[in-house]
Amino acid sequence: MSRTAGRRLFWAVCLVLCLAGFVASLLTGPVHTGFGDLWRSLGHPDRIHRAIFIDLRLSRAVLAFLVGAALALSGAILQGYFRNPMADPFVVGVSSGASLGAVLAIALGFNAVAFGFSGPGLFAFLSGLGIVSLVYALSLRRGGYKVETILLTGIAAGALASAATSFFLFMRSDSYDQAVFWLLGSFQLAEWSQVATIGPWVAICLAVSLWLARDMDLLALGDESAQALGSPVRRVRKAFLVMSALLAAMSVAVSGIIGFVGLVVPHWVRLLIGPRHRTLFAASALAGGTFLLYCDLLARNLLPAELPIGVITAAVGAPFFIYLLHKKR
Amino acid sequence: MRALPVALALVLALALPAGVSGTGAQASVPMITDDLGHPLPLPRQTPRRIVSMAPNITEILFALGLGDRVVGVTRFCDWPPATKDIPKIGGLVDPNVEVIRSLDPDLVIAFRGNPLRLVDRLRRLDLPVFVLDIGRGLDALCPLIERIGRVTRTEERAAALAAGLRARVEAVDAGLRDVAVRPDVFVLLYGQGLWTCGGESYVNDLITRAGGTNVAAALPKKWVLYKRERIIRDDPDAVFILARTAADFGAGRNALARLPGVSGIKAVKRGRIFELDENAASRFGPRLVDVLARMAALLHPERFGGPA
Repeated sequence: MSRTAGRRLFWAVCLVLCLAGFVASLLTGPVHTGFGDLWRSLGHPDRIHRAIFIDLRLSRAVLAFLVGAALALSGAILQGYFRNPMADPFVVGVSSGASLGAVLAIALGFNAVAFGFSGPGLFAFLSGLGIVSLVYALSLRRGGYKVETILLTGIAAGALASAATSFFLFMRSDSYDQAVFWLLGSFQLAEWSQVATIGPWVAICLAVSLWLARDMDLLALGDESAQALGSPVRRVRKAFLVMSALLAAMSVAVSGIIGFVGLVVPHWVRLLIGPRHRTLFAASALAGGTFLLYCDLLARNLLPAELPIGVITAAVGAPFFIYLLHKKR
Repeated sequence: MRALPVALALVLALALPAGVSGTGAQASVPMITDDLGHPLPLPRQTPRRIVSMAPNITEILFALGLGDRVVGVTRFCDWPPATKDIPKIGGLVDPNVEVIRSLDPDLVIAFRGNPLRLVDRLRRLDLPVFVLDIGRGLDALCPLIERIGRVTRTEERAAALAAGLRARVEAVDAGLRDVAVRPDVFVLLYGQGLWTCGGESYVNDLITRAGGTNVAAALPKKWVLYKRERIIRDDPDAVFILARTAADFGAGRNALARLPGVSGIKAVKRGRIFELDENAASRFGPRLVDVLARMAALLHPERFGGPA
């Protein structure tokens, strides 16, 4: 199969799976609904079906897709940025920072809803971004964009934040149930205001990263070469860092910490369609969204009680990832 | 990194329209405020489709004669037996929002032990949600019943129910007037380990009201895992085992009597190990008064003529 044909096949399969995933999300749930109910409620919805299909299931599916796209895009950016396949949105401290914020908000009993985020969501967003800013500020003080410094500072800051998180969890053991929601992720609380909050930003970040994708290709040759080839290396690096942190922090704020997507989806995509960043970014976003859509379907339908989605992403993603790695080599 | 704060501000600015959702208060409708401080328009008449998110709420609704209007209960709601045929909305910590919405309730009664993020989600689906506090002592029972009576517009029935319960509690109080001896009581929750009720549990309050002394009263918790050595040191006069079935009670009693050291305590030697209905005692509902009366009769048979 030629490269182009393979690429076309990839896009076609992804799009079909994505649409099928949305339809399946609409049709399945604890309340039994059939295609007929969905069809009827498209014409003249009654109150209950409208709430179930539109406010609960569709908003949830759209949010899962957006978060999956954001995490995968963030991972694709960071892997290119660090020229390191181990990089993912959570290595630079976003996840530990965000979980610290969420658990802190829970411990303080801060539950107000603001900007479509819940109290813990808002805290998660702010502290996730806060930790990343701190990591970057610390690593960049010496004036260089040294990859190792950023990664190691991120890991150290993450460990510190994890320690604080465990401390607050220990002090408030009664908030354990709520904390699990943040530490393992869930779309149980999805609603349209969250979609409205993060949707535009995911779109903007995707557009900007597609626009700068060529510069990311050049970065692969090394900073000096890229500079020599006319790429404004420092500004490009800064833009990508900000975008990846923003995408990850927003994802955590609406759904808690969902691991694995940002690490693995860009790998799949790279294995399947090659390393050029323009297609890689776009395809990662689509594949990540589709992947998370299906994971959420499993999370809410596999058992009578909902599973945290972090359990599903790892359980489904890891074996498939290993299979792909070994098949290709 | 100056770009991050700027981007952050932008996100918040963009999100602002999504966060603002002004609902003009309708001044003409009388409002009722739940225990979380959320106002709810007071129903004009008794709601027809009520979802209960806790067993004790279900029990109180049935006691108020609203059983046929309860359309959804948790899977733990098993009293009265008629609850068996009512659709289940999930558990206490995992109620399902979609199922609750599909029942089209005109009143959802939740309690503070439900995950408040899910309760919030229900409210934002425009469902009328009324959240109640968890009762801390027997004195909170009648106000709880009257509050549920208020929001379901069955004030008179609630007042009658509460008056009956108060009279029975007062009868116990009267029977125990000037009681000289307050036997030491150890409560065992049948199951894994020596779980007992600490000072913050309403079971502790029940023991005190029934003329006993909870040996674990000093522990500032609701339920605590007790140490075997402490039971031996406390040497309680009586043990109450909260058990679901007579078989569980028997098993609990035998296990306790066989525990090295514990077998020598007064309660075991004198055979003063008693069964309490776990189902009734673990729900903050009307049957607590039955439990109270039984405890008082067991601890002070000389005053109440033995257990009913």
